[in-house]
Amino acid sequence: MTFRQFAFNNVIRNKRLYAAYFLTSLFTVMVFFTFSIFASHPQLTGDNMDSYVSFGMNVAAGIIYVFSFFFVLYSMSSFLQSRKKEFGLLMIQGMSMKQIRSMVFLENMFIGLLATIGGIGLGLIFSKVILLIAENVLIIENELPFYFPTQPILLTFGCFIVLFFLISLFVSYILRSRKLIDLIKGDKKSKGEPKANLFLTILAVLLLGTGYAVALIVEGLQVIFAMIPVVIVVIIGTYLLFTQLSVSIIRRLKKKENVFWYKTNMILFSDLSFRMKDNARSFFLVAIISTVAFSAIGTLYGFQSYITAGIKQVNQTTISYQDYDTGNEQANVSYIAETLQGANIDMDKERVTLHYYELPDETLVLITKESDYNRIAGLSDNEIIQVEDGAPALMEPEMIFLNIGGDNSGQQEAEILKDAVLELDGGTVLEPVQLVSSNVLPSTTKYYVVSDQDFENFPEPAIEENYYAWQETEDSEIPLGIAEKLNDRLSTEGIRIGQYEEYVVNKAYGPILFVGLFIGIVFFVSSGSFLYFRLYSDLDEDKKKFQAITKMGLTEKELKKVLNRQTALLFFAPIFVALIHGAVALTALSNMFFYSLVKESAMVLGLFLAIQIVYFFIVRFYYIRQVKQALQ
Amino acid sequence: MLKVRQVSKVYEGKVSYRALSDINLTVEDSEFVGIMGPSGSGKTTLLNMIATIDEPTTGEILINGKDPNRLKKEKLAQFRRRELGFVFQDFNLLHTLTVEENMVLPLTLDGSKVSEMKKKAKEIAEKLGITEIMNKRTYEISGGQAQRAAVARAMIHTPKLLLADEPTGNLDSKSSKDVMEMLEAINEKEKTTMLLVTHDPQAASYCNRVVFIRDGKFYSEIHRGNNRQAFFQKIIDTLSLMGGDSNDFSSVRI
Repeated sequence: MTFRQFAFNNVIRNKRLYAAYFLTSLFTVMVFFTFSIFASHPQLTGDNMDSYVSFGMNVAAGIIYVFSFFFVLYSMSSFLQSRKKEFGLLMIQGMSMKQIRSMVFLENMFIGLLATIGGIGLGLIFSKVILLIAENVLIIENELPFYFPTQPILLTFGCFIVLFFLISLFVSYILRSRKLIDLIKGDKKSKGEPKANLFLTILAVLLLGTGYAVALIVEGLQVIFAMIPVVIVVIIGTYLLFTQLSVSIIRRLKKKENVFWYKTNMILFSDLSFRMKDNARSFFLVAIISTVAFSAIGTLYGFQSYITAGIKQVNQTTISYQDYDTGNEQANVSYIAETLQGANIDMDKERVTLHYYELPDETLVLITKESDYNRIAGLSDNEIIQVEDGAPALMEPEMIFLNIGGDNSGQQEAEILKDAVLELDGGTVLEPVQLVSSNVLPSTTKYYVVSDQDFENFPEPAIEENYYAWQETEDSEIPLGIAEKLNDRLSTEGIRIGQYEEYVVNKAYGPILFVGLFIGIVFFVSSGSFLYFRLYSDLDEDKKKFQAITKMGLTEKELKKVLNRQTALLFFAPIFVALIHGAVALTALSNMFFYSLVKESAMVLGLFLAIQIVYFFIVRFYYIRQVKQALQ
Repeated sequence: MLKVRQVSKVYEGKVSYRALSDINLTVEDSEFVGIMGPSGSGKTTLLNMIATIDEPTTGEILINGKDPNRLKKEKLAQFRRRELGFVFQDFNLLHTLTVEENMVLPLTLDGSKVSEMKKKAKEIAEKLGITEIMNKRTYEISGGQAQRAAVARAMIHTPKLLLADEPTGNLDSKSSKDVMEMLEAINEKEKTTMLLVTHDPQAASYCNRVVFIRDGKFYSEIHRGNNRQAFFQKIIDTLSLMGGDSNDFSSVRI
């Protein structure tokens, strides 16, 4: 047996031990590979996409690569920690540190090579799925066909061979020469119970408290200025939360004998405070990574829904046309009608005249007849209003883009109405008696609706404009081709098609959303793997502990209960913190836009929580099974 | 108290191995019985089966007339923590708990009241002379103290049967003597039935009776008279006759 054969057999005949590390590497390679398949797809490169998008993709690939490096490094070093005893044994047999390093190096290169090839193979199988998802998320005219990705294969292979080479070098450096006795007794040494510093514990609470408070209080542009200090404060606070606050809480609980001495609590809590020392760093890492993932995905999704909602507000009907004084009004309107008819699209149409009056300060104000307003309102399925003679209504548009409306917290309705009293040239006075929020008519400022009778007595308006609205009869969208055709010709003359605007935004936004989702999911899944490693590094100790306790009499139910809580704490403590962080971050974001993201945040965070729960059940099942096998 | 009838144990596997064959053993109430034999003779296997950790391949084991192996898993665990007490060679104390917490662990699993647990722990600690180390961690105490703490844990629920597997195996001679005298005292005062598996003739000499097994078979049995020293000598004689292992004294000393 040569030395190389020894290293090789070490891996091959000890598959179980290496499996977790191998799978992590495999997963990392697969993620990078599928992403690069997507990023260098012929449909997406070249003329089909803007150069900034492909630049973005490359940056994203870079982020994934750097992240992979640290992720693989982390899993490798935690894997080596569990092999201390083995190294000690080999050293007793007379192996030099240099030989151990070269053994680890060879093993690692071997695993790395297998993982790279396997990851590329698996990635090829999954690439069609990724492309299908991409097709749906991105709005691309052509579909993304499967192609044989020569370039991504070479790229991935090259990148990861380099990565594993660097990590192998790095890891063999990590294995500093320790005393042989420390290696052999490595797992028996007690690290001592971590103690919490009172000052730092209070600091943790203060930092998190102020960070949250500031994040929740600031509004508008302040959010941008407050962001970096708040992020730093919260990161430090989170670190202290896990290293200090959690330890002090557990210690406090342990002192309460009513709690600590109650049934299985003793077994559960005793290890908790000891492991907190090791757990704190992983928890911190997982919490921060997950927060980044939640916030990134929440922001992207929230931003999309913000834009979509904004477009919907402006476009209450399917198509609207308000002439921009082009002089082609008749021609354009009949062109729209013909185009729709030609495509066999049946639409309800209304036409109203918008009357603008000039105020003393030369601003224009829109005043509409009740019947005109109600025709458009009826067309666009908005509420019809009742206006009595001499009692006009003040209409307040809600425009989230322009940050108009929606929030009247500062002012009472009566005051707004009082401020809105208006005197026209002819001495006519308008005293509105009701305030209605409405986007029915195309106006970004408040406007008035008066009864038809009253309107007869009004003076001549300064400007009159015709406003045309089309509304689809069934809930069917107008075909993209027609919308595009109309938009191309008339967008500068005054046509607005909400569906088409949405399509344009989504098309530009799709790649960003996809990349964001992809990276977010990678971060999230890898944070799950961190927790998995953390849990499994305690497996041997748990096995020994439960062997001892079972001999004294521990029912299977109690065993499951303890393991269940232990795993649940491990899996949900950091995620719970990340969820709160994410929720606060998204609230701050919605304060910045003055647009409520509650629904979007709840969806994103809920989805992640659901995935984490599924992950928890899977890991718990295997962990309990492993511990139980050791008790046989 | 304990009846072992025609018990055999075969470990199945690629090479099946007969660890015990046709062992019979009866232990009366409040008796202190030692089981001796060379390494690999099957004494720990026998103890594990009595401890309900393992099941015999054939034969039956009755504790107080009941066969615990017929109990369901949950009931079996409860049976172990209520009726039996265990002392191990490597103490098996949890290093994350204090001595007191280790002692009350079996009681907490049963959901006893804190005040009651405190009281019992205090009582037994006084009896065993470990009151001053109650709040220490397991790595802050000596081996002898650890084993006494382990005995305290095994005795806290006043079990009917105490099983000890090489309790002096990791201890120096002074600590061994202390632990064995303590077990003897408990046996006499509390009338707890005890079963001790050991290599150590010195430890075995504290028993009322010692049973020898070799290669999984019953070999012989000797009773203690009034004199422990003489009993110790008899144990050594038997071991040398068995051709025991290197741990034992040479037969030249007879």
